[in-house]
Amino acid sequence: MGAILVVILVMPVVVGLVAWRSSPALAGGLTVSAGVATFGLALALVPGVGSHSVLALDSWLRADALSVVFLVATAFLYAVTSIFAVGYLHGPKREPREVLDGSRRLGGPLNLITFSTPAEPGTLLYSQRFWAGLNFFAWSMAVAPIVNSLALLWVAIEITTVISALLVAIDNTEGATEASWKYVLIASMGLGIALVATIVIYYAGSTVLGSGYELFFDPLLRAAPRFPPGIVRLAFVLAVLGYGTKMGLFPVHTWLPDAHSEAPTPVSALLSGSLLTIAFYAILRYYQIAIRSVGVAFPREVLLAFGIASLVLAALYLLSQRDLKRLFAYSSIEHMGILMIGMSFGVTIAVVGVLIHVLAHAAAKATAFFGAGSVMRRLGTKDMTQIRGGIGLLPWSGPMLVLAILGLSAAPPFGIFRSEFLIVYGGLSDPQDVAVAILVAGVTMAFFGLSWYGTQAMVTPAPEGAIRGETSGWIVAAMLVGLIALAMLGIHPPAQLDHLLARAAAELGPPR
Amino acid sequence: MHPTPDPGTFSGITEGLAALILLTEFAMLRSAMLRSQVRLYSFQSLVVAALASAVAAARGIPDLFILAGLTLVLKVILIPGIIFRVMRGSKVDLAGSHRLNVATMIFIGISVSVFGFLAVEGLDIHSATLPTPALGTAVAVVLVSFVVIILRGDVVSQAVGFFSLENGVSVASLVVAAGLPFIVEVAFLVDLLVAVVVFGVLMRVHHMKADTLSTDVLDRLKG
Amino acid sequence: MLPAWLAQVLQVLTVALGAPLVSGVIAKIEARLQGRRGPRVLQPYYDLAKLFRKETLMPEESSWVFLAAPVVAFTCYLIVPLLIPELTNFGLPLSYTADILGGAFILALAGFSVSLAAAETGAPYAQLGSSRAMTFGALIEPSILFITFVVGIVTSTDLPFVEAAAARSSLSQAILPAHLLAAIAFFLVVISDTGRIPVETHASTTELGMIDEGRTLEWSGPPFALLKWGSNMKQVILYVILLDVFAAPWGLAGSLAAGSVLLAIPILLGKAVGVGAVLTLSDNTFSKLRLFKLTEFMAAAFLLAVLAILTLYVGYA
Repeated sequence: MGAILVVILVMPVVVGLVAWRSSPALAGGLTVSAGVATFGLALALVPGVGSHSVLALDSWLRADALSVVFLVATAFLYAVTSIFAVGYLHGPKREPREVLDGSRRLGGPLNLITFSTPAEPGTLLYSQRFWAGLNFFAWSMAVAPIVNSLALLWVAIEITTVISALLVAIDNTEGATEASWKYVLIASMGLGIALVATIVIYYAGSTVLGSGYELFFDPLLRAAPRFPPGIVRLAFVLAVLGYGTKMGLFPVHTWLPDAHSEAPTPVSALLSGSLLTIAFYAILRYYQIAIRSVGVAFPREVLLAFGIASLVLAALYLLSQRDLKRLFAYSSIEHMGILMIGMSFGVTIAVVGVLIHVLAHAAAKATAFFGAGSVMRRLGTKDMTQIRGGIGLLPWSGPMLVLAILGLSAAPPFGIFRSEFLIVYGGLSDPQDVAVAILVAGVTMAFFGLSWYGTQAMVTPAPEGAIRGETSGWIVAAMLVGLIALAMLGIHPPAQLDHLLARAAAELGPPR
Repeated sequence: MHPTPDPGTFSGITEGLAALILLTEFAMLRSAMLRSQVRLYSFQSLVVAALASAVAAARGIPDLFILAGLTLVLKVILIPGIIFRVMRGSKVDLAGSHRLNVATMIFIGISVSVFGFLAVEGLDIHSATLPTPALGTAVAVVLVSFVVIILRGDVVSQAVGFFSLENGVSVASLVVAAGLPFIVEVAFLVDLLVAVVVFGVLMRVHHMKADTLSTDVLDRLKG
Repeated sequence: MLPAWLAQVLQVLTVALGAPLVSGVIAKIEARLQGRRGPRVLQPYYDLAKLFRKETLMPEESSWVFLAAPVVAFTCYLIVPLLIPELTNFGLPLSYTADILGGAFILALAGFSVSLAAAETGAPYAQLGSSRAMTFGALIEPSILFITFVVGIVTSTDLPFVEAAAARSSLSQAILPAHLLAAIAFFLVVISDTGRIPVETHASTTELGMIDEGRTLEWSGPPFALLKWGSNMKQVILYVILLDVFAAPWGLAGSLAAGSVLLAIPILLGKAVGVGAVLTLSDNTFSKLRLFKLTEFMAAAFLLAVLAILTLYVGYA
């Protein structure tokens, strides 16, 4: 079992390095295989971690039920996104973009790894960079949940920032550059705070464990009850604020809509479906320590405050968007808020709901972004006032996009319906009536925003002279897989998964 | 009030170095030329390396010597070198831009520093390696670097502000976590290097696109 | 052994009689730095003597305030040397009549009376100078207050002697960050109060850039001589506070023995010339800030003073 972790640690990097220097076809094929293989390996971990955690590499790698939930979500996205990206890169027509004069060449050794030689989409250089970056990005996100140290977790998440910032900027447009700059700056500031949180928790630990210990999870969790509570409170708030920046929580969400809307669509899907929840995973690790040290009340209040603020803000913004990808970006903020609120309820059933929500949101949001990419490819715009008749023009991906939007706004029978139902149920049994009322109101508003704009764009007569038909079969395949997963989570999750989620929820609960 | 106890030469020197780091941060808030901005960062990192060496020598933590050496190579020489390299491509914009006038920015910086010091004062943190005021200084450095990032309107200052944030965190870790495992420290440094490359790339791309290093043109994306 | 009262008198006389000499030496050094031969070292004395022989002219609009102000200012500058550690490193009988804030108030009274009289003349440049002097005086005031607080926290007293003694007591006290920061902050205050670059060009003849100098344009004869003499003394007093309270409280007489007190006089004047030389060097190295950028300078002084307080407060409060 430990070997699986090592393979996950190594394989995407190797594939990324090969993709960097190979033809687009080979790179795409390799990436799809690696993605599917990683997903398979992640699934193979599921039965094992139900009973005990898996260690590897002298206990530097560790997987328990909680990490596997996030690993499965990431690996699933790795697989479907690479499938989608094959179609996205090799289709006939590009997304609308203003390419500026990038003819000036700047030399120097940085040239090898940087974009100082501009590469236009469609060129070999562009696709090499894209495939390599995609693999590295997926790798950094897959590694984050399986490292066994708070410090290495921070390093992994910081690496996701730098790689994804380059991927956001890859299209070389003005908007992409601006979004990427904002993203890397704001996220890095947040991670600076998270680094302080790491150091503070190290200090808290050193009062019990002595100096010079590794920040492994198990010893930290065992010793947590004896940590000085004031210091742990500080570390927890810093961690929520710091990693919350990466997660897109209000008020440190400002980079998120820009980065999501300006990045190439496969990158948007990975950002939204996986990156945000990886940051959530980091917060959960601090939550585990905090509830053992200072009790459940304080951490839950913090989570609730950030969650409600994010949910309400996102729901309001959802009602006034013009850009399809920005719409989905604000929907991501909304769902991150729901995760925080669900976690703050704390009862086991709500926590299970939160974990299902992580998986279901990954599947739904990726499918929605894929659909958006398909529409943009066909119509050449992402401005929703321009998008008309999506269903008529795209016989497969059009209806599937509508279904994904419905799934995102928590319509049954999809997974998000089940997860939000569990969260609300948990909140009512806790009881947290006010929070539940806000949650339901926010979700309802978001539902209206999403479905109003979504259906307006899709279920209308097609404009004159538009071409009918799908742009690529790969896109349809990726969306189909995403929808099937989403429906499976909603209708009947496999028993193994149920077991895994229950186990992970127990790990997140108060110690017995 | 009672007379202050004799704090000892070591703590005097180290607190002085920490205060110097904070003063450098304030200088970044003010400095008009982008090149002096980068030089200030290089100097600040040098002081951080000196501080790490002082702790290593006085407290017998040899790991910190290696860390100081790495800081010297990476932050004092390599990173400023990369930024200078990126800046060499730009013939315009040698002067940075401020969003507010300097005195106001300094007062904002002073306010957040006071907050940082008082916040640390409120915590019950005891350090075996450095005097506690150094932690207050480190937190103040972090907060002032936020002010630099937010209130300076050019990409070089913002990037330098971010790197100096890491310097502040380094000082904080010297105070409360001097025994932080070596492998982790190295990971932090390597990571910083990667971040520099990314900042360099973006600065260059941004410059190619907009022909300026000012972020005032970065206002397309709203809402 | 000298009687204590004689030592006190010597303090006043040293400042009063030594101040023009210090100014003369500094002017000479500055001239040499600029490649000129410069005036004689004793030139300030000749200037004063000449002015005392001239007649006194008064603007028509002005009242008795115009004539009283130079006397009040001069008297203030005669009083302050009694209060600070100058020749001896221990307090003399009158040294405790006012604390460090009291000293600052007396210095402020001198500046205020000159500004008041200058404003009264109704002459444009004098009024400009006086309003600027009050504005920037008010801006530098918080730094002076915070420096006073540093002295208060370090010594638990408000006495300059104790601060100097603390700095002398051990190396670790002398390099205490609060002490160093306060010393640098006070150095900036001295620059501002003596009208040095980057605040003011002290030897300038362009009225528009003037702050302190502009105020005295309307005076002539003996009152003007008192003002000039007073500003020489103020310079030495500020240098003495900087040196003997913060930066270098060494070389003072440890007892009232005649030899050591008399030896302290040339040491003091030498140190003052040293500070003056440093200031002159910076004067000729940096350029003047635009008037509206002076707030940056004041902010820097304030920053240092606040940081001094902060390092003390967190460490040992």
